[in-house]
Amino acid sequence: MVTEGTAATAAASAVDGGSLPLGGGLLALLRPALDRLEPGGVLAVLSSTRSVVDDLASWCRIERHEYLGTEDLSESRQRHLIRRGALGAPRGDRERGGKLSARDGRITASDLVAAVPFQAAADPATGFAPRGARVEPGGPAYPFTLNRADSVAPPEVAALYDQAIGAQWDASRDIPWGDIELLPPGLDAAVGQIMTFLAENELSALYVPSRFIARIHPAYVETAMFLATQLNDEARHIDVFLKRARLGGEESGAGISSAVTSHSLHSLLELEDFTEVAFLLSVLGEGTFVDLLRFVERNAPDAATAEIARRARIDETRHVHFGIVHVKHALATHPALYARLEEAVRRRAATLSGVGSVPAPVIDALTILAAGGLDPSKITRGHEAVQELMAEMHASRLKRLTHAGFSDAQAELISNLHTPNFM
Amino acid sequence: MAAGLRITIGAVAYDPKVVTIWEGIRDHFASSGLLTEFALYSSYERQVEVLLAGQVDIAWNTPLAHVRVRRRTDGTSRSLGMRDTDRDVRAKIIVRRDAGISSIEGLVGRKLAVGSRDSTQARILPLYFLGQAGIDVRRIQLVPFDTDVGKHGDTGTSEIDVVQAVHDGRAEAGAIGDVVWAALQAAGRVRSDLVDVMWTSPPFDHCMFDALASLPAATVELFNRILFSMSWEDPRHRKILELEGLKQWVAPRETGYESLRAALDEQGAW
Repeated sequence: MVTEGTAATAAASAVDGGSLPLGGGLLALLRPALDRLEPGGVLAVLSSTRSVVDDLASWCRIERHEYLGTEDLSESRQRHLIRRGALGAPRGDRERGGKLSARDGRITASDLVAAVPFQAAADPATGFAPRGARVEPGGPAYPFTLNRADSVAPPEVAALYDQAIGAQWDASRDIPWGDIELLPPGLDAAVGQIMTFLAENELSALYVPSRFIARIHPAYVETAMFLATQLNDEARHIDVFLKRARLGGEESGAGISSAVTSHSLHSLLELEDFTEVAFLLSVLGEGTFVDLLRFVERNAPDAATAEIARRARIDETRHVHFGIVHVKHALATHPALYARLEEAVRRRAATLSGVGSVPAPVIDALTILAAGGLDPSKITRGHEAVQELMAEMHASRLKRLTHAGFSDAQAELISNLHTPNFM
Repeated sequence: MAAGLRITIGAVAYDPKVVTIWEGIRDHFASSGLLTEFALYSSYERQVEVLLAGQVDIAWNTPLAHVRVRRRTDGTSRSLGMRDTDRDVRAKIIVRRDAGISSIEGLVGRKLAVGSRDSTQARILPLYFLGQAGIDVRRIQLVPFDTDVGKHGDTGTSEIDVVQAVHDGRAEAGAIGDVVWAALQAAGRVRSDLVDVMWTSPPFDHCMFDALASLPAATVELFNRILFSMSWEDPRHRKILELEGLKQWVAPRETGYESLRAALDEQGAW
């Protein structure tokens, strides 16, 4: 039975079904072959099973492919032709092979992004489909809101992810916990206070970005992956800070959580814009924290505290870097963003106005830390060191802001409006 | 459309999913400007009566219910639409490989499992078509599975029973519709080493939305426009279409029911 024109219909591809019955394995060869065809394309199916003619026609009818007919190739072998239907055909171009290969035995996330680059915009209806996959239409729209590369995926993000993965450390083993000695009076309490403050701020750096991961379109998954490393970093920092607070003599232990800190961090948690978060939390907050951690490292009373501060600072520097490239990338495409970010800083400053200056317990603890104890003759030096820290923080903020693309005047204004809480 | 127009659609509750299907269709119609109620019945016999009595405006009917409505209204009823899968349905005769039945003539004297007595695809038409092909059906030993009578084979239960009976040897052959057969094959529930398809019937058509001639043309037009706007690629419609077993609603046609009418005449089954 050859329908008219069958013999003349050229098949784009063919599968050899051997003697497989339709329900006994033939579909596993047939369906992938049809999926490789564009709607309207013709597939030839070679088969030596007689019943395939009955089953194939029915299957095509139900699946909305067109069964074009069959012809005998020999007494025991037929050639069936199927025209691929249009309904439900996956959208997008099929990836060609050989996109990726190892270099020196390694494949980085950056290599993958180079092979399968970010598109400018992504469709929420593609859901969790990985970038590059062909997507069958008809799936639900997902509630992703970060659907544009310029607002979520700076080109450097994969490289930062690669760095972060290579820089992970162990909070239990990688700090010389055994080297801690008895500290002079007042210093244990100061260290406990500073560690409490650091942990409290790092808690916000754990919680605030986590609110945005589920909003990122999976087409930009490298940003979600980078944020996952950032969350892991923050978790480790919280871990080491809270351990250090409890290590020492009778005065050791957690310190005070100030209302200024609480107000400041609350205003971060309320942010609903990812770029504003990158700017306020990472560029300004974590940037300022890098200076604070350097101060703690420089004035650390023991090797463990210095190592905690050093390791945390290296991680934080990476977060700041992500914040800067993110903001820079967004600013390059949306110049109006300058005004919006400035406005976000002003809004936050207005919210925080009247809540006080740098929390007193923190200022005092930093002073005592830099003085090395409670000796009045050394406190002056401690006091000066904290003043120098403030100036250093301001100068670093200016540098980061101009690096991100702000003018000197904008940078000066924004830095001065930054929260007294550092983060 | 008249303000406040609300139509009632009858359907038979052959499965709990029927509620999901009709709630979904009701939402779709409401969002497109036509308010509907659905009324569920336990049998197509009752549904045909309420349609003829004007208690529902439209009924979603099996082929058996559809031809009965056509007959009872002397062909004046309005056919509104059908599923793509309702066109050119075929019945299959499947056989045990070890039964040695290679043609329909070989069914004579053998055990043929058949579906419910009101199943178009698994009983009425396969037996009719075998007769048309010259087989004396009275000489075949029928192994009937009269489950869910009144549902006209919608549940598929009797067809699954048929396939099972052929698998386990209670019958040497079986009659089923191609939709259930293809679904069982795709789901890997057919032992191809034991069971094979032996014969495929000529095509016939299946379900239909029926209404009386008194349903205003404007309402028919509105109903059709909204029905046909459902899309396989629209996530709001996809689930309903999957559950109801179609990819696209299509225009009605009457040409696919001649064999069923002839079969009912012959079998005295009107």
